[in-house]
Amino acid sequence: MKRTVIPFGPQHPVLPEPIVLDLILEDEKVVDAIPTIGYIHRGLEAMVERVEYTEMGFVVERICGICSFMHGMGYCLALESIMNVEVPDRARWLRIIWAETSRIQSHLLWLGLGADAFGFENLFMHCWRMREEILDIFEKTTGGRIIHSVNRIGGVKRDISDSELVAIVAKLDELGKAFDKTARVFASDASIRHRLSGVGVLSMEEARAVDAVGPMARASGVRLDTRLTGQNLYDQLEFEPVLETAGDCLARVVVRMREVRQSIDLIHQMVEKMPKGEGLPLETKVRGMPSGETFTRLEQPRGEVVYYVKANGTKYLERFRARTPTFANVPAMIKLVKGCDLADVPNIILTIDPCISCTER
Amino acid sequence: MANPFRLPMAPRTIRNLLSRPATRRYPTEIRPRFDGARGTIKFDVETCVYCMICARRCPAAAITCSRDERYWAIEHLTCIGCNVCVEVCNKNSLSMSTDSKSVHVRAEVGPEGQRPGHEEWHGVAPQPVVAKA
Repeated sequence: MKRTVIPFGPQHPVLPEPIVLDLILEDEKVVDAIPTIGYIHRGLEAMVERVEYTEMGFVVERICGICSFMHGMGYCLALESIMNVEVPDRARWLRIIWAETSRIQSHLLWLGLGADAFGFENLFMHCWRMREEILDIFEKTTGGRIIHSVNRIGGVKRDISDSELVAIVAKLDELGKAFDKTARVFASDASIRHRLSGVGVLSMEEARAVDAVGPMARASGVRLDTRLTGQNLYDQLEFEPVLETAGDCLARVVVRMREVRQSIDLIHQMVEKMPKGEGLPLETKVRGMPSGETFTRLEQPRGEVVYYVKANGTKYLERFRARTPTFANVPAMIKLVKGCDLADVPNIILTIDPCISCTER
Repeated sequence: MANPFRLPMAPRTIRNLLSRPATRRYPTEIRPRFDGARGTIKFDVETCVYCMICARRCPAAAITCSRDERYWAIEHLTCIGCNVCVEVCNKNSLSMSTDSKSVHVRAEVGPEGQRPGHEEWHGVAPQPVVAKA
């Protein structure tokens, strides 16, 4: 049969960011897909050679606008482990509260984009309206809506007062109720099921074989979550990763919806368990220059991220590397696209939650 | 298979018809910023001693400062608003302003002059803010 090549991207209505897939079609079926990246490479990793390690945290946050907090946190955790810095308890709790809040906003953003991709614009706006409330919480507590710049090596820059934490939890509860109504639409609307159910199925074995991470793996039933390692105080929380077994696009939507509820529940537990009081220490003064190398793993909204930092005893780091979840999920995406209909390609690409800024840095 | 005649979004849509919009009419209705929110850098020429710490610590190298010439400048389009300079300033010469009109966008001046509305909502064309004592 004659083959047709259709370039998908870099500009495409469903793609928030530029990536190219050369889709090779036989009739309406995709038989192969060749990805090309490199449209928004900014050379952030090379910047460590000319920005001091104390200030680099603010640059690392700008890798991506959605998981910005987690990027800053991962960088600081890596440097803290190299320099053996003990971070004050309250700062550690505040960090994971912000981290879980950013997971909620990322999933709400993605659910909106997903709704837009399968043509449900009304739902897209509802999801983003809810996300605004989370961004307000961020602006109130960190000073920025998207880029928070509160992480510093040794702790955090700002405190959230106890009364404010209670108000945030109340606001999240309210948001949870509004979210349940929207989630019902995702779960029961016939058009959504028609577009997503049974599309792009990734079995558990395949997910393991292509090393999928994050919600992508969990939607296929792989129990993979960096939070399970118990680092960053997650061992003190009751936590069980959200698993679905269907492995199709709908399962990936459901995993993310359930993770929004789970994150709200986790924030409840965190606020209960964290040390209370005014004027608790938030930061440990960091002295000297880092020397050594380390790996840090974190569970970002999109999956596991790995940071590698190598320091050589000067104020400039020798090497900084971030392996982002989208990069790990691209092989899974290519696998899913092969054999599907051309009309399903946008949905499949969107359900891996691609973040090209992260991937290219 | 879900019932195609079920419309789970319908109650929400009807309620939206009767409630006020979630968005604001931006230039006339400006969203208030929270206390402590970050914005653009404001510089106080009276108190600055030109110690150059802000220029050295700026991750984006947006600040140019010279002690000999008594010169301080910031490139607003390069500034990433991380607040580092405000924190390190010993004399509190730097502060964050949340003024929402101070977005600097490069002005495009055509043969007939500037585009309508440009001056009003986007400030002036981005000149580095220069202070000389």
